[in-house]
Amino acid sequence: MAELHKIIANVKDALGSGAQNNSHDADAAAAIPVSPSAQRAELVSAFARELEEVGGKFLGIVTPAELTSRIVTLAGEIGAKSVAIGQGVASDMGAIGEALERADFRIVRTLPVADIERAPMRARVADADLGIADADFAIASTGTLAVVSNPQRPSSLTLLPPASLAIVQIDRIMPNLAAALAAIGPAGVAANRLTLITGPSRTADIEKRIVLGVHGPKSLHVIVVWPHDD
Amino acid sequence: MPEVSKARDFFESSTAAIADHELRRKLESASSRHLDHFAQVKAEFPPYEEERDAAHRIKTDAIAHLDELLIELTSSLQARGCKVFFAEDAAQARDYIVGLAKAKGAKNVVKGKSMTTEEIDLNDAFAKAGIDAVETDLGEYIVQLRGERPSHIITPAIHLSKEDIGQLFTDKFGIDYTAEPEKLTAEARSRLRAIFLAADFGVTGVNFAIAETGTLIVVENEGNGRLSSTMPETFVAVMGIEKVIPRLEDLSHFLEILARTATGQKLTTYTSFVTGPRREGDLDGPREMHVVILDNGRSAMLADPVLREALNCIRCGACLNVCPIYRRIGGHAYRSVYPGPIGSIVSPNLFGSAAGHLPFASTLCGACKDICPVKIDIPRILLHLRWKESTGKHPLKWPRAIERARRGARRFAKTAQYPRTIRALGKFAAILLKPFAHNGYLRRMPGPFGNWTKYRNFPRPRPHKRPQG
Repeated sequence: MAELHKIIANVKDALGSGAQNNSHDADAAAAIPVSPSAQRAELVSAFARELEEVGGKFLGIVTPAELTSRIVTLAGEIGAKSVAIGQGVASDMGAIGEALERADFRIVRTLPVADIERAPMRARVADADLGIADADFAIASTGTLAVVSNPQRPSSLTLLPPASLAIVQIDRIMPNLAAALAAIGPAGVAANRLTLITGPSRTADIEKRIVLGVHGPKSLHVIVVWPHDD
Repeated sequence: MPEVSKARDFFESSTAAIADHELRRKLESASSRHLDHFAQVKAEFPPYEEERDAAHRIKTDAIAHLDELLIELTSSLQARGCKVFFAEDAAQARDYIVGLAKAKGAKNVVKGKSMTTEEIDLNDAFAKAGIDAVETDLGEYIVQLRGERPSHIITPAIHLSKEDIGQLFTDKFGIDYTAEPEKLTAEARSRLRAIFLAADFGVTGVNFAIAETGTLIVVENEGNGRLSSTMPETFVAVMGIEKVIPRLEDLSHFLEILARTATGQKLTTYTSFVTGPRREGDLDGPREMHVVILDNGRSAMLADPVLREALNCIRCGACLNVCPIYRRIGGHAYRSVYPGPIGSIVSPNLFGSAAGHLPFASTLCGACKDICPVKIDIPRILLHLRWKESTGKHPLKWPRAIERARRGARRFAKTAQYPRTIRALGKFAAILLKPFAHNGYLRRMPGPFGNWTKYRNFPRPRPHKRPQG
């Protein structure tokens, strides 16, 4: 690591004494805004509008009881044969998986894998027509989903299949990016890979024309869950 | 060493580019569409100026504490299981990355879009080592297939039409000709997906590095960055020393402005936060993660109080889109990895005197300063670099025509101290040039002045209009 010390020394010299600079302590982290029920409808509608603007599809607000059947309907609508599904943040993915199986969809369940099992598991996720994952948070101002991956919910779920479905709990819609990052916090971000997803994969590399589905999903669907007793 | 032009090359390539009307049409259409998008998203986002101020403040402060932040970042990265390598120059970075790929027996290298790897000319080093490295961003993939370099830091294939790209795919892949962007993109997707699934070594750049958590942020739209950092067993992230910011809470200020200025989006499609290699049981992510932190002339920029500000750059490319020079000549004519206004600042510092003429390729109109999301005073820095270049140990060798113009300007400066002489000369010139004028304009002037009238008309001097005072 000789280079480290050399470069740091160069940087230090370049900065001069460096001591007179005020510290970069910013204001204490803002308290996480928990949206009261009254604001929720407003946040959902802003989120839905922004999501559609970036080419995502908003499937509406459902109760937890309606969620499973709505997902089965979607899988049918997009003509999926196999569906990849991971463990949820709040949703009961076990029940959703069983319902999809009863409706004759082939299910790929992402479980913790040993190194040797990675390639075959990944190939199965890549072959699935639809990937389903709970989002940790959603961001109303940009139509963004925040997904922290873990062994049961790998990043591949929202990346490899050509269609992606995200499930968002209503109390997890944050007004803006800063609020969402504050809610996840440094420890949450460092826990594993975090991905912010704003619409389907896209490019404008050919004459600045927008084309969807370059490397990631061509279609992105979102369902918001709003419990009755809330 | 990436190709960097000498003054004469630039003179020739820019002259040729100015005459290329097709190139100009493509650049004008892409740049103005881009600026329309930006104007729209900016108008829809009232806090834009506040976020811009915050980003400027945080970045300036981070640069002023760069030594501490780099130490903090290094220990955070190591605590998360990353291997950190500091590279003093491009050669060290290249040797480390290619050496690592060889040691791992890498066969299929995938690259996410990264200007820093262009800067260190990594693809060439892979090729020399006999390793296949594939660019996976669509625009980068296209220019790589053509054996070219990107002509814009955000939109690499901005100089190509869809017909050019259709022909390229027909030539390279033997597929039926099509110029439909959807079909061309689908073709690239299926080819690159197969490559991704077989990839064993991935390289991407870094947009921001958070010192507090050791998290690297990669911003993109297609998924090439996500795939390059999740699929292969070994992943290398390459970043300049200036990419570090202190905390997670600083990040939103940058993300709120970066996509808006870069592409006219509110946020890019994918923002990946990568903190260390994959955890036990994870399907995705590399087993080994390396972070190459590159100096390559940046600490020398830091040492110069005027130049230091240029390290604030977040590589959004907006200054290219507004620059009257870039919009006429395009990225390739600069013959440097980083074109446009910001390129004319960083190139001489990263690549040395071979790019020393680039700060002169500017009208100093200030459009770049106005649009810069982190408020870099680009014209001021360009002037500073001109001064340095003209007074340094090895002043530039100019093409003869420019040298003559410079001598002429010096003589003019002396003469201009005597208003009466100037007025008399003006009168004389007006009479002398009268026969050459048509409708009040000179279309051809003699001698070195001919360089001006080659591309534009010059208003005929009018003796009766006296300057005020």
